[in-house]
Amino acid sequence: MLIAAVAMFDSRAAFSPSAGTSPGDVGARWYPFLAAAIMGIASVIVAYRALATPPGSEAAFEGRQSVFAVLKIAIPMLVYALLIGGIGWKTTDFTYVVVPPFGFYLATALYMGLFAWWLGRYKIWWVAAIAFAFPLVIFVAFEIGFRVTLPKSFLYDAGILPF
Amino acid sequence: MEVFGDLAGGFATALHPINMAMLFVAVVLGLVIGVLPGLGGTSGVAILLPITVFIAHGSLPGSDATTAIIFLAGIYWGALFGGVITSILFNIPGEPWAVVLLFDGFPLAKRLGKPGLALASSFVSSFLGALVSTILFTFFALPIALKALEFGPAELFAVFVLSFATLIGLGAEAPMKSLAMLALGLLLAAVGFDTITGEQRLNFGQISLLSGISFVPVTIGLFGIGEILASAEEQGIGFVENIPARLGLQDVFAALGELRKRLRLVLSNAVIGFFFGVLPGHGATAASFLGYGLARQYSKNKENFGKGEISGIMGPQAAADSAGVASLVPMITLGIPGSPTSAVIMAGLFIWGLQPGPVLFIQHPDFVWGLIASIYLGHLLTFILCLLAVPLLAMIMRVPYAIITPFIVVISIIGSYSLNNSMLDVFITVVFGVIGYWLRKMKYPLAPLVVALVLGDSTERELRKALIAGHGSPLYFFNSALSTVLIVLAVVLVLIPLIRTIRARRRGAGAPAAAAHP
Repeated sequence: MLIAAVAMFDSRAAFSPSAGTSPGDVGARWYPFLAAAIMGIASVIVAYRALATPPGSEAAFEGRQSVFAVLKIAIPMLVYALLIGGIGWKTTDFTYVVVPPFGFYLATALYMGLFAWWLGRYKIWWVAAIAFAFPLVIFVAFEIGFRVTLPKSFLYDAGILPF
Repeated sequence: MEVFGDLAGGFATALHPINMAMLFVAVVLGLVIGVLPGLGGTSGVAILLPITVFIAHGSLPGSDATTAIIFLAGIYWGALFGGVITSILFNIPGEPWAVVLLFDGFPLAKRLGKPGLALASSFVSSFLGALVSTILFTFFALPIALKALEFGPAELFAVFVLSFATLIGLGAEAPMKSLAMLALGLLLAAVGFDTITGEQRLNFGQISLLSGISFVPVTIGLFGIGEILASAEEQGIGFVENIPARLGLQDVFAALGELRKRLRLVLSNAVIGFFFGVLPGHGATAASFLGYGLARQYSKNKENFGKGEISGIMGPQAAADSAGVASLVPMITLGIPGSPTSAVIMAGLFIWGLQPGPVLFIQHPDFVWGLIASIYLGHLLTFILCLLAVPLLAMIMRVPYAIITPFIVVISIIGSYSLNNSMLDVFITVVFGVIGYWLRKMKYPLAPLVVALVLGDSTERELRKALIAGHGSPLYFFNSALSTVLIVLAVVLVLIPLIRTIRARRRGAGAPAAAAHP
């Protein structure tokens, strides 16, 4: 059961000292340092036990298939989150835009459509219907019903679309 | 009795049309959330938390903070009942507290061919458990709160320490892992401005981190996204057993008959579940396993357990629902959440501008008693809906994976974004989703992390206030009898696992190989 992987230990070891910030005065820094120290000690003990336990008694992943199953969900999710806000960076005199912000609604349409097409293997008109219906329902419920404003797209900024 | 007057006032508040309407919506949502395996009660409450801001600020006609809490708590009640349905019918637990129902609930439905009886037994005992717990809640809440009003920083800090200690000492996972998660939570809570001196810390020069790491996106990530990723892995591995879902009136009467035979078990489990749930850090899940253990321990026919014994359904259900209700008691009276779900509800209170804790009873009695009355009504409503709508709820399981999974992600992202209109929160949610998934895989408990993140600031504030009052001497904590008792209790709780390991090691000294492979 105690198969906390070595990777866990590595990430912890990198994390704890950065959080430590000199123990100095019993002021603002003292308490986080204490917490970091406790966490460091606990993770060292967990790592020690994990290393002391003979490995192989329980694998973290059940075969490659499950890794792919997780990545299939995780990667589109990351791309989706990036699409909403767009990709780019600002310097003092210029804003670089790699991908323009798609806004919440366009990104959601693409994202839901992708899943319906790729994992669901639906016919193309079903994919289109899903991609259209879900953002619409969300628009009505949130933007009109609860008056929650969600991120808008570059087409909204250009005045082409209402979202 | 003053309590009855307060409770009557509470019912008047809860029965207000808008409150009843939102309670109904919440219970239905909770049942759906409970049935969906990828979405748990905690994540459901966390995702819908931002919406309650608009409810609390009167977006709906006549709604206020009381409506908001009735709504959030209602989701929890629905999820407490709903998680069970899939355990019994499909052998897939919809919620962590429904895992126990796989032992006897599914066999009764499948092998003995009585799905209706299994479901009805579960609902009847859930309802009775929750009812007992709510009655205890009604009578205990005010005295606890009045006592808590006398607490100073030393006592408050001791209470916080005790709640952390219960997470370590009584948790199901390895205590060192709980401790590491607890410390991580405290550390994350410390990001931003220091509450006492106003100094900046742990922000690494980033302005966006100055306001601290917000609790809601982290919880939505850890629970919502984390669960989605975890269930993605089980897709294709799990096999859906399908049992026709029907629940007739005769099933309810049969279940009531069975309940009469087991009334002592159900009532005692409900009472035990209440006191277990009041302990900070423990919700329905731990109580359900405890309830199963007790039902088995005191049963005359132990050999029937695991084969569809009704006590194996009623025992854990009574305890789980009772503990679920009870986990709100320390949150409302002391400002300490009893479970991850009540931690999220407590975050809601902060967002609506209320201070959870004893003062709530004095400043906002309508709110507290409205909530208590809504617990009675919410469970009654859930119970009736469960009896009527099981076939409909079972159908939700047929919604295709390719639609439900991205939909939950979309809802999670709306939830994390709309609280502060911040894309940073969306990224925090996604990142913590991956972290939450990884922590699950590594068998790290998430409850200590969430509870510590919520309580971190207050814990630090009380600790430092106490240290300032005591001129830096830690002996200040032993000035009052109450804080001394609490701290000693906390130390004992932390030592429990250590003592257990030492005893196990002594016993298992002859067979070290067996101990290495548990």
